[in-house]
Amino acid sequence: MSVPSVEQCLWALFAAFMIAVPWIIPALSSSFWVSVIAEILIWSLLAASVNLLFGYVGLLSFGQALYFGFGMYGVAIGIEDLGLSFWPAFALGVVAAMAMALATGIFAVRLTWHYFAIITVVFSLIFYFLALSNKWLTGGDDGINFTLPPTFAIDGFSKSLTDPTFQYFFILGTVALCFWLMHRLIRSPLGKAFLAIRDNDVRASLIGLNVYLLRLIAFVLAGFLAGVSGGLFAFFGRYASASYMFYHVSGEAVVWAIVGGAGTLLGPIAGTTLFIIVREIVSTHWEHHSLIVGTVAILVVMFAPKGVVGLWNEWIARMVERGGAPAHAVELRTEP
Amino acid sequence: MDKLFLLGMNGLIWGLIVALIALGLAIIFGLLDIINLAHGDFFMVGTVLAWATLQSTGSFWLAFIVAPLIGLILGALIQRMVIQPIHNVAALSIVATFGLSLILQETVRITYGPTPGRILPPIAQTIPMFGVDYEAYRLFAAAIAILALMAFFLFLQHTKLGIWIRAVRHDRDTALAMGIPAGRIYILTFAIGFALAALGGVVAAPITTVDFRGGVDILPFCFMAVIIGGLGNLLGAAAAAVLLAFLEGVMQSFADPTVARIASLVLMSAVLLLRPHGLFKGLTR
Repeated sequence: MSVPSVEQCLWALFAAFMIAVPWIIPALSSSFWVSVIAEILIWSLLAASVNLLFGYVGLLSFGQALYFGFGMYGVAIGIEDLGLSFWPAFALGVVAAMAMALATGIFAVRLTWHYFAIITVVFSLIFYFLALSNKWLTGGDDGINFTLPPTFAIDGFSKSLTDPTFQYFFILGTVALCFWLMHRLIRSPLGKAFLAIRDNDVRASLIGLNVYLLRLIAFVLAGFLAGVSGGLFAFFGRYASASYMFYHVSGEAVVWAIVGGAGTLLGPIAGTTLFIIVREIVSTHWEHHSLIVGTVAILVVMFAPKGVVGLWNEWIARMVERGGAPAHAVELRTEP
Repeated sequence: MDKLFLLGMNGLIWGLIVALIALGLAIIFGLLDIINLAHGDFFMVGTVLAWATLQSTGSFWLAFIVAPLIGLILGALIQRMVIQPIHNVAALSIVATFGLSLILQETVRITYGPTPGRILPPIAQTIPMFGVDYEAYRLFAAAIAILALMAFFLFLQHTKLGIWIRAVRHDRDTALAMGIPAGRIYILTFAIGFALAALGGVVAAPITTVDFRGGVDILPFCFMAVIIGGLGNLLGAAAAAVLLAFLEGVMQSFADPTVARIASLVLMSAVLLLRPHGLFKGLTR
């Protein structure tokens, strides 16, 4: 089998598994794991937003929690204070996150590398402290709880996220849509321009690319991903809290993205899955699960410096090679 | 006026302590080119070592020797076991030091415990200054911090090892060709970085709290000092730390701490945007 057909098979298996989750997981262990998988999907979008910037444009952001927080608070404040229904609140969260990304990005993308990393932390800390001190709006560390409005209400038929199966599919559908959009983006001329900037920004500007504008676009798109992630998280927990805007959350997303494999489409999912599954499994048995999580982080970078997806690609390629495929098919398929 | 003096002075002294920690971060950053997310926890380990020394020997003063020594050993071990295998790749160092940070915090939580504790200042006297009874320990802390800063710069400028560190930092390949053991210099630098942070932790322990999360707040502050001071400019990093903490202290005298923190962050982003290569670029060298 060639690499593409192996990949297609795996894709189909993966998709079938994700769709079957609400039925097979409770049958195998407990429905608790369905909500863990939903949470993984949500967080992997935040990791994807780090990955879009770092893996495809070469900008390391330590402040994505800010846009996550705006998505989260957009939904919570929209529902609780403004009385919005489901979709307008979701839209408010995503638009707020993108607007914030635009406003801060105008300044941030003038800088690169260490300077960019620091200014994104500084911006996110400013709004973290603002959210902490303006308790009347954000609830500070205690956060805001809200009751879910129905997602659809047509002619007396209504569906809301209180139905766990519907909630799972709503999250799966939204996250899948975002990853599909990202897949399209990477293959578009815009995505190629991003890659050109990542590899050499001077050369990119010499062939006529507007590096500043393209970086700003990438920053706003990353804000979109983080905002959707934050909005979904608010719906999932019926809750928003300033503590999710702290730089630690951004840092975890960076770690997930790099461990999964920066610059690969599915890397963020792989990294997030690894860390959240390890955390959930160990934390039920042992209070000090952070020791294991920390050790896993160190071992992964030692033994899989290209991340989980990088390791996987090498493994697949080696398997195919052993199967005697023609040499040209063995070439590593680095996403995209 | 009294309040302004008190908070400004507190800020200045806190800045001197942070300067020690930021200096440790800056040499690790500058020489190994790794982003050390565990540096705040190195500081936290210092505060815990101060507490442990006080508990086991009854003497706080011993911690000034014990903590930096343990810091040196731990730093050397960590560099050899964790940092060296990843070949100083910046992106990987983020993940590895993040893991390290979790391990250090959790180890302290297991051994020391989850509740923050306090160490009473070993010098209980106060000194009347400008109408305020100022804690003598803080003045002592400032003196220790200044001495350590001076000792470090003298070490870097005038000893063989210091010259080797600067040589490896300037041009690794040439340094290797001249017979300087670059691998060992990396280990030494990381160990000194840890020791400086641990010493900062001991000095700060009676002023702040001893807590396994004690490094979380100080980490972004140190990074900002390193960046604003100018990457690779060690003196700049130390000066920026003092300046930042002093300004925040002064602002705290007429606004609440969170507002002061926000104001200093806004100021910092302005500096980053207007002088991206450091506040002191062009002044030194």
